[in-house]
Amino acid sequence: MTTINISQPLDTAARPDNYITHTRGFMSWAFTLDHKRIGVMYLVSVLVSFFVGGVFALLVRTELLTPGQTIPGVTADVYNHFFTLHGAIMVFLVIIPSIPAALGNFIMPIMLGAKDVAFPRLNLFSYYLWIFGALFTVSSLLLGGFDTGWTFYTPYSTTTPAGGVIPALTGVFILGFSSIFTGLNFIVTVHKLRPPGMTWFRMPLFLWAIYATAIIQVLATPVLGITLLLLIVERAFNIGIFDPSMGGDPVLYQHFFWFYSHPAVYIMILPAMGIISELISVHAHRHIFGYKFIALSSIAIAIFSFLVWGHHMFISGQSPLLNTLFSLISFSVAIPSAVKVFNWMSTLYKGNIVLNTPMLYALAFLVLFTIGGLTGIHLATLNTDVHLHDTYFVVAHFHYVMMGSALIGMIGGLHHWWPKITGRMYNENLGRIGCITVFIGFNVTFFTQFFLGSQGMPRRYYDYQPEYQIYHVISTIGSYIMASGFLLTAYYLLASLFGGRLAPANPWGGRSLEWQCASPPPFDNFSTQPRVGDCYDFSAIRWDEKEQGYVVDRALDPTLNPNLAAKNSH
Amino acid sequence: MNIASTIFSNLLAGDPREGRTLWLPPQDSNLAVNSDLMFWWINIICYFFFIGIVIALVILVVKYRMKKDRPFRTDGPLHHLPLETTWAVVPLLIVIFIFYFGFRDYLNFMTPPKNSYEIAVTAQKWGWLFKYPNGATSDDLYVPTGRPVKLSMRSSDVLHCCYIPDFRVKKDLVPGRYSYLWFQTDDVTPEGWGHNLFCAEYCGTGHSNMNRKVYALAQPEFDAWLTAQSQWLDKIPEEELYFRAGPKLYARCQQCHSLDGTKGIGPSWKGLWARVSGGEGGDGKFVDGTGYQSQIGAGKQYQTPEDYIRSSILNPGEHVVAGYANAMPSFKGQLNDKGIDAVIGFMKHMDEFDTKGKYLKEVPPAPKVSMK
Repeated sequence: MTTINISQPLDTAARPDNYITHTRGFMSWAFTLDHKRIGVMYLVSVLVSFFVGGVFALLVRTELLTPGQTIPGVTADVYNHFFTLHGAIMVFLVIIPSIPAALGNFIMPIMLGAKDVAFPRLNLFSYYLWIFGALFTVSSLLLGGFDTGWTFYTPYSTTTPAGGVIPALTGVFILGFSSIFTGLNFIVTVHKLRPPGMTWFRMPLFLWAIYATAIIQVLATPVLGITLLLLIVERAFNIGIFDPSMGGDPVLYQHFFWFYSHPAVYIMILPAMGIISELISVHAHRHIFGYKFIALSSIAIAIFSFLVWGHHMFISGQSPLLNTLFSLISFSVAIPSAVKVFNWMSTLYKGNIVLNTPMLYALAFLVLFTIGGLTGIHLATLNTDVHLHDTYFVVAHFHYVMMGSALIGMIGGLHHWWPKITGRMYNENLGRIGCITVFIGFNVTFFTQFFLGSQGMPRRYYDYQPEYQIYHVISTIGSYIMASGFLLTAYYLLASLFGGRLAPANPWGGRSLEWQCASPPPFDNFSTQPRVGDCYDFSAIRWDEKEQGYVVDRALDPTLNPNLAAKNSH
Repeated sequence: MNIASTIFSNLLAGDPREGRTLWLPPQDSNLAVNSDLMFWWINIICYFFFIGIVIALVILVVKYRMKKDRPFRTDGPLHHLPLETTWAVVPLLIVIFIFYFGFRDYLNFMTPPKNSYEIAVTAQKWGWLFKYPNGATSDDLYVPTGRPVKLSMRSSDVLHCCYIPDFRVKKDLVPGRYSYLWFQTDDVTPEGWGHNLFCAEYCGTGHSNMNRKVYALAQPEFDAWLTAQSQWLDKIPEEELYFRAGPKLYARCQQCHSLDGTKGIGPSWKGLWARVSGGEGGDGKFVDGTGYQSQIGAGKQYQTPEDYIRSSILNPGEHVVAGYANAMPSFKGQLNDKGIDAVIGFMKHMDEFDTKGKYLKEVPPAPKVSMK
C-alpha cells in the first residue's frame, strides 16, 4: 500500500477560492497571466464576434429571400459588404481562435497537468493582439468598409473604391500574429510542461489535435502575413505584385492566399476533431477505439494540409498538370478523415452512452462532417468541379465543414466544459432542444444549397434568376430555425450562470485530468502534482451520490494502484 | 427520378426543355454527359456511405445506451489493426478510382478540338463582349450547333469567370492572360428562351447582374444571324442612328448610367448634354478641381462637347467627374465611330426617350435589319 489514500480522488473538493474569485477587480482580469482567465476572455470575445457574424449571415439570407432588393436600403454594394464581413468575421475572429485560443487556453494546461502555458505573458499578448486585430477589422466599417470577399482576391481588392480594405488587411495581419503566438505557446507547453507520467501516447486526443493545429498555425500563418503585407503595399503604393496592369500576376496571389487558407481549414477542423474524440469517449464512458490511429491521423492531416491548396484553383488558369496533382493529393485527405470517423463510431460499440447535450453535438458533428467530407469528393474530382466550382455547392460544402463540423464541435466542447469553466450546470433539456433545433435548421439551410449549386447558381450573388427562388426561400427559413436554436442556447447558458445547479468536479464521468480538479478550477489548477493515469480508462469511474457527480476510484485503476497492477499481471 | 424531375420542372416553369433531375440541369453539351455520369457515381458512393454511417450510428446509440445502476461495461476492444487498416485503405482505393475517371474526362475539357469555331470574349465590369471571326460583336453569346466552339477569353479589369451551367463548363478570365473554354452543343435553343451564362468569379457591384444568354442556332440560321449582326450598324442611315442604335448600345451603359437622374456608379445621362455644352449644370467639376467650362470649348482640351464625350468613352480615366470613382473601362475597339455617333445622338435627344431608354415616338419601318 502506498501512503496516499487511493480511495479518495485528489483535489476535487469545491473550494471558495477558485480562479474566478482568487483576485477581484477589472485590472486583475485585464492584466491576468492565468491561462484560464485569458481563455474566458477569448471565449467571451469569440462568442460576441459569433453573434455579430451571425447577424450578418441572417442579413445575407434575408436579402436573398427574393431576387433583387429585399431589405429596403440594401443595395448590391451593401450586400457585398455584408457577405464579406460575415466571412471575414466568422473565419478570422470566430472559427480560427474559437477552439485553440478560447477552449484550448482554458482546458489544455489542466488536461496536460500543468499550472499554466509555457509563456503566460505571450499568451496575454496574443489576446491583446486579437483585440487590436478585431478593432482594426471592425474599424474598417467606419472607413468605408470592404467588399472584397474574405479572400481579398486581386486585382479587385487592390482597385475597389471601398475605403476600408487596408484597415481590414491590417486587422487580419495582426490577428495572424495572435494566432502564431498562441500556436507557438501551445507547442512549447506540450513539449516542456508535461508532468511525470504524461507520455506522448497518454495525452488526451484533444491535446494531440491542439498540438497538430499549433504546428499548422506556426508554419502557415506567416505566409498569410506576408501575402497581406504585399497586398497592402500594392494597394497603398502601386507596387505591382499581383495586378497585371502593373506587371503582377493575380494567380500568384491565389497561390499565396490558399497556401495559408487551405491549412487554415484544418486549423479550424482539427481542434474540433479533438473535442469530438473527448466527447464521444467521455459520454459513452468507453475507452477511445484506436487511440494511436486517431492521434497520428491528426498529424497526417496537418501534413497533408500543406499539399492541397491548389484544389481551390482548378479553373483559375492554373496548369492542367498542377490541377491533376492537386486533385490526386486532395483525395489523400480522405484517409485520415475516414479513420477518425470509423474509430469514433467504433468507440460507441459496447459503450455506455448517455445522450446528453455534448453527446448530441458529437453525433451531430459525425453526421454533418460525413456530409461535408463526402461532398468534398465532388469538388476534388476534376471534371465535376468544373461545373460546381464557385457555386452554392461549394458554399454548402464548406459550411458543412466549417460550421457544421468546426463550430458544432466547438459548441459541443463548450457544453462539455461549461460546468468546469463556470462551475454551474445548464438546463439539460433545453440543451438537447437547442442542439436538435440547430441541427435541423442547419440542414434545412445548407442541404438546400447543394441543390442550388448543382443546378447552377453562382455564389456571392445579390440578384438571381427567379427560377432559383424556391431554394433560397427554404434556405433562409432554415437559417431562422438555426438562429432560434442558437438564441435558446445563449439563453440557457446565461441563465445557468445565475440559477444553475453548482457543478460537481466531474459531472460526466470524464477521466482526463481536468475532471480531477474542482469546478471551477482553483487558481493554480492542482495543489499537488496530479497523478496521470490512462485518460480513457473508465473502469475506475463510479457515480458518487454525495458528490452528485462521478469520482475516480483510484483503487480500481491499475495505472494508479500498484497492487492492482501486480494482481492483474498474475 | 421521375417524381423529382416533375417537381423540378414545375419549379422551373418557363424552361421548355426536358431532362432536369433533382441534382442537375438538362445536359446541353457534349461535355455534360461524362461530367454528369461522374457526378452520379460519386453521389451513389456518397449515399452508400452516408446511409450506412447513419444507420450504424442509430443502432450503436440505441443498443449501447447506458444501463442505470449497473457498472460500466468495459469489454469493448481498444484497437483492431486489421479493421483500422481496412478503413484507411478501402476509401483510398475508391477515391483513386474516382480521381482517375475525373482526370481522364477533365483532359477533354482542357483540349479544344482543332476545328473549333473560335469566338473572342472580353469581360469587363460588368458585361461581356463576344466577337466573331467576321468582326460582328454581340452582348449575348450566339453559337452554331453541331460543331465545337472555342471561347478565347480575356478580361480587361478584374477576375471574371465564364460559367454556362447547362453546358457544365466554367473558366476564369484573368487580366493579362488568355484562357480557353470549349464545348459543343447539338440542340437548337428553344424559341424565346436562352441558356444562362453567369459570371462566377466575384467582381463587385454588378457581379450578380453580369449574366447573359446563350443561343445555339443551327448552322444556316447562325450564318444568317452572323451576317446581319456584322452589318446592323452600317445599314442604319445617319439620321436614324440615335433612335435605332442608341437604345441598343445604351444597354451596355445602363448598369452605371441612369436616364432618370439617379446617381449610379457613373453620372446620370439626364441633362448630360446641357451640362457639357454650357447649359444648366455647366458649372460642374472634375475630380482634379477643374470645371467643365475650363476644359470644354474652342481652344481648350476638348474643342467641342462631342470631343469630350468621345474621349470619355475611349479614355474614361482622363477626366473623372467630381464625386465619382474612376470605375469605367475603356470601350476602345468595341465601339466604332458610328457607334459613338449613335451614343452622342442618343444623349442629345434624351427628351425623346423614356427613363428606360425606350424611344417615345413611333419607329419608322426598319430597313431590313435583324434586331434579334
